[in-house]
Amino acid sequence: MTPLQAIAAASILLGVGLWLLLPRGGAPGRGFGALFSAIALGLFAFVVVRIDPQHRVGDSVFLLLAATTIVSALGAVTLRSPVYCAIWFAMTLLGTAGLFLYQGAQFLGVATVVVYAGAILVTFLFVLMLAQPKGMTSYDRVSWEGMLSAATGAVLVGLLSALVFAPPPVAEGEQPLAGLNVDPVAAADREAEILSPDHMAHLGGQLFSRYLIGVEVAGTLLLAALVGAVAIVAQGKQQPRWEEGRQHG
Amino acid sequence: MDEVQLLHRFLMVGALLFSIGLVGFLSRRNMIVMFLAAEMMLQGISVSLVGWGRFHNDWGGQILVIFILAVAACEAGIALALVLMLFHQTGKLDVAVWQSIREANQPKFVDHQLPEETLPVEHWPTLPPAGVEPELPVEEMIHRSHV
Amino acid sequence: MVLVPALPLAAALIVGLLGFPLLKTRSHIPVIAAIGTSFVLSLFLLRGVLNDTPQEESGGAVGVEKLVRLWRWAGIEGAYSQGEGEQAVSRPFDIDITLRADPLTAVMLSMVTFISSLVAIYAVGYMHGDPGYPRFFAYVSLFVFSMTMLVSVSNFVLLYVFWEAVGLCSYLLIGFWYEKPEAAAAGKKAFLVNRIGDFGFALGLFLLWTTYGTLNFHDVGPDGALPTASAEAEGEASGGKIAVQGVLGQSRLQDPAHSYVGGGVGLAICLCLLAGACGKSAQFPLHVWLPDAMEGPTPVSALIHAATMVTAGVYMFIRCTPLLHASPTAQAIVASVGAFTALLAGLIALTQNDLKRVMAYSTISQLGYMFLGVGTGMLAGIGAGMFHLFTHAFFKALLFLGSGSVMHAMGGIVDMQRFSGLRKIMPWTHGTFLVGCLALCGVFPFAGYYSKDAILAAAHGRAMHDLVLLEGTRWEFSLYQTLYYSGVFTALLTGLYTFRAFFMTFYGETRVPPEAGHHAHESPPSMVGPLVILAVFAFGIGYIMSGSEASHDQPFGGFLHHTPSLAFSGLPAGPHDEASHAKVAALSSLFALSGIGLAAFLYLGERRQVERLSRLMKAVRLYQLSYGKFFFDQIYNGLIVAPLRLLASVCYWFDQKVIDGLVNLGGWLPQAFGAMLRPLQNGLLQFYALAMMLGLLVLIGALLMWPVS
Repeated sequence: MTPLQAIAAASILLGVGLWLLLPRGGAPGRGFGALFSAIALGLFAFVVVRIDPQHRVGDSVFLLLAATTIVSALGAVTLRSPVYCAIWFAMTLLGTAGLFLYQGAQFLGVATVVVYAGAILVTFLFVLMLAQPKGMTSYDRVSWEGMLSAATGAVLVGLLSALVFAPPPVAEGEQPLAGLNVDPVAAADREAEILSPDHMAHLGGQLFSRYLIGVEVAGTLLLAALVGAVAIVAQGKQQPRWEEGRQHG
Repeated sequence: MDEVQLLHRFLMVGALLFSIGLVGFLSRRNMIVMFLAAEMMLQGISVSLVGWGRFHNDWGGQILVIFILAVAACEAGIALALVLMLFHQTGKLDVAVWQSIREANQPKFVDHQLPEETLPVEHWPTLPPAGVEPELPVEEMIHRSHV
Repeated sequence: MVLVPALPLAAALIVGLLGFPLLKTRSHIPVIAAIGTSFVLSLFLLRGVLNDTPQEESGGAVGVEKLVRLWRWAGIEGAYSQGEGEQAVSRPFDIDITLRADPLTAVMLSMVTFISSLVAIYAVGYMHGDPGYPRFFAYVSLFVFSMTMLVSVSNFVLLYVFWEAVGLCSYLLIGFWYEKPEAAAAGKKAFLVNRIGDFGFALGLFLLWTTYGTLNFHDVGPDGALPTASAEAEGEASGGKIAVQGVLGQSRLQDPAHSYVGGGVGLAICLCLLAGACGKSAQFPLHVWLPDAMEGPTPVSALIHAATMVTAGVYMFIRCTPLLHASPTAQAIVASVGAFTALLAGLIALTQNDLKRVMAYSTISQLGYMFLGVGTGMLAGIGAGMFHLFTHAFFKALLFLGSGSVMHAMGGIVDMQRFSGLRKIMPWTHGTFLVGCLALCGVFPFAGYYSKDAILAAAHGRAMHDLVLLEGTRWEFSLYQTLYYSGVFTALLTGLYTFRAFFMTFYGETRVPPEAGHHAHESPPSMVGPLVILAVFAFGIGYIMSGSEASHDQPFGGFLHHTPSLAFSGLPAGPHDEASHAKVAALSSLFALSGIGLAAFLYLGERRQVERLSRLMKAVRLYQLSYGKFFFDQIYNGLIVAPLRLLASVCYWFDQKVIDGLVNLGGWLPQAFGAMLRPLQNGLLQFYALAMMLGLLVLIGALLMWPVS
């Protein structure tokens, strides 16, 4: 099986599985959906991962982390209850944080957990508690154009992975993809850099020297968002259109 | 470890996360879940960026992810404020309620009605009766989740 | 020279712009002042041209002309090219705004401004109290400007422009009372019928351009300068100082036999011009608009549709005499058309009951005489035609103003059956009308006698001339002889219908229609004054102008002889036979008098004979034929209007169904396409996201399929 065929098959399977998994108003087939999705993920793993006997532990860790991330992402997307979705999404975040750590991005791994899981997700849960109507609502139980969306996602993932693993042929006399030829010296440097105790300090130095303006802009953006969120909520409070909305909805 | 192999793995994970998030964004109708899916797409991008950053031995990937974190925080704050306001207006989190920007004379999108599915009334454990068994505040319990 | 047309234009602008807000009932003041001044100026001009006349013998130039170039309006370089290689000629297409003064123009200018002044004075009384008073005077002034320009420009294109301008004024004035549907319809009819003629005229101009390569009357020097008398002489000496020979320029006139194109092209040009002249001068077959044009105010009828505008066709032919001279066939056709129209209109006029319509048909008839005169192709005939034009302007304006006076007194009633015996009520009108009638009939001392008999004599002379000189072409002799006799017979008809109208109006028992009310009285002085002046002229002008009997030596003809167009050598002078002229005069006078006598016999007194005669005529259907104007309107209706209507309805259907269908299809297609796309805009956020994503997928797919090199 060539990689392209495998990718195509995996994408199709993933699409079907996602469609089956998505809430469809209680229609049966979620089990099949889970099965198809698992097979698709396996196929993707088969295409991507070539087990290196020397790094068996590392590969296992990666596979575990990736599987946690993807499976919890599937769960976050497909489960009906928003609260479950949020909790599965937290799992995804943890997986991603693990992946960041796996790549040596220590600060990012911790920051993701702190900012995302600790702040953003908690905000989500707060809002869910504030705004969750009684019972299981119909719009949670039915997805909009599930088949079409699933197909779109499947085609997208197929195309992306095809771009990565079966890159388009390049014309004669051109470099295939500059940078893919990694020289071992750089790799050694990288390893040393990642393991260095000053890793974080270097990141910070970069952040506040080369990207200082970006940091300032981001800070301003955060402030503006803060003010904006308060303003929006305050304005919404001032003009309650509850009754009107009830009739409307 | 082979750096190209590593990059490929992370790109694959990023692509999967992005696509799954996309499917969720497109198909789920709960606005909060949609935002969760959008955050998931951002996570996919972040994973890819970190992978590329490592591959090129450049800080840019990580720095960009930090900015993504900041932007995601802003976005979440604003978006949740908006969602809250919209919910206050209609009492629903359904994104399909808001379709007033559609072309004039276009029929409103109405999904097929599902039978109402209520959660079973749960009896929460109470302290053992010290005297008379207290009357259960059924009304309040039913509306528990509605704050 | 320039001021003659400029003053009426200024007056027209003043009255047109300020008439309603400021001048109101004083609107006539600037107009009369301007036209009167123009008249005085044109008299000076006439005098100047007269003084120049003797000097022309010494110079080499043909005739007398003075040119005033205002500016060069259009100059398209290399518009006309002819020949190959060395002989290639390339000329610009020039339109010089150039005014010319020659005897013909001077006479026309004096006549036009004189009649206009009198009519304007008359209109002060006639139009008094009309809501459109300032508008009327603005139009009249504009008309005078156009007419003076028409007779004084020196270019065919400008001639055409002002030809249209007078047509426009005519249209505006016919439809002056546009609330009346008849007036509006008549205006439309006049305009449309004139269009047919103008189309022919335009074709004639194109032909002239391709034939002669210029449309200017005058010669133009090499550097675009106008030729002066001295340059003229030098030009002849050095040979070829003149860059462009004008159509009617001096250099071309030096040798008319060789420089004018005859044969088929010449005939075609003349016929095209004839079509234009027929339209403007109401000749058969385009005469139908003039009687209807009587719906306009009577001063207008007098000014435009009797005295001035309708003579534009005659003027143009006299101006173009050299062209006409090159084609004897065209001459014959012009003469035939004229004579036939004269006869036809005379016959129709016999039975009309509308006083103004009788006058209109008599105008057509007299214009026919003029064409007959022009068509003889001899100086005497052309001079006579011009002479008749000149005298006719006076007595026909007199008659029209007289009938306007009657109409004014009768409360707008023109039906002669409804009033009679007005001579006691309106003595001045009666007297002047009588003078006009006598002049029209050509009774001895009056103006018409001289001019009409001159035309008839010329026709007779042409016939004799052909008989003597051209043995081979017998048909021309018989043709002109026939035309001559028909002209003489028309003189009888003229007497009959004129005096029929006269007797019916002014004699018999006094009857006044109820519409007249109490003011059935003589008209105010501003109306009677012009009548009297015109009557004096109608009485005397023929005698004054004609001088001796010898046609070539008469001052009028002799004066006109100095017009460049008429002065070239090839034009035959005309008959010198005094005996035959006298014979002709006697014959036509006899016929005219017998016509008058017949009218008196029939319409004075009991009119029993009329009843009998009309019964007899009705029995043989002749009466209906004449009364129905030979059913020209009906014939045109059937032959032209109905098929056109059919064509128009077909076109309408085609336009409505096919063209509009196509256009609507063009509009409908995007609409349908939009309707197809409209469901996309369903307002669902997720749908938009999906669409965005699908677009992205297409892009990625494209990147995969056709990688960027």
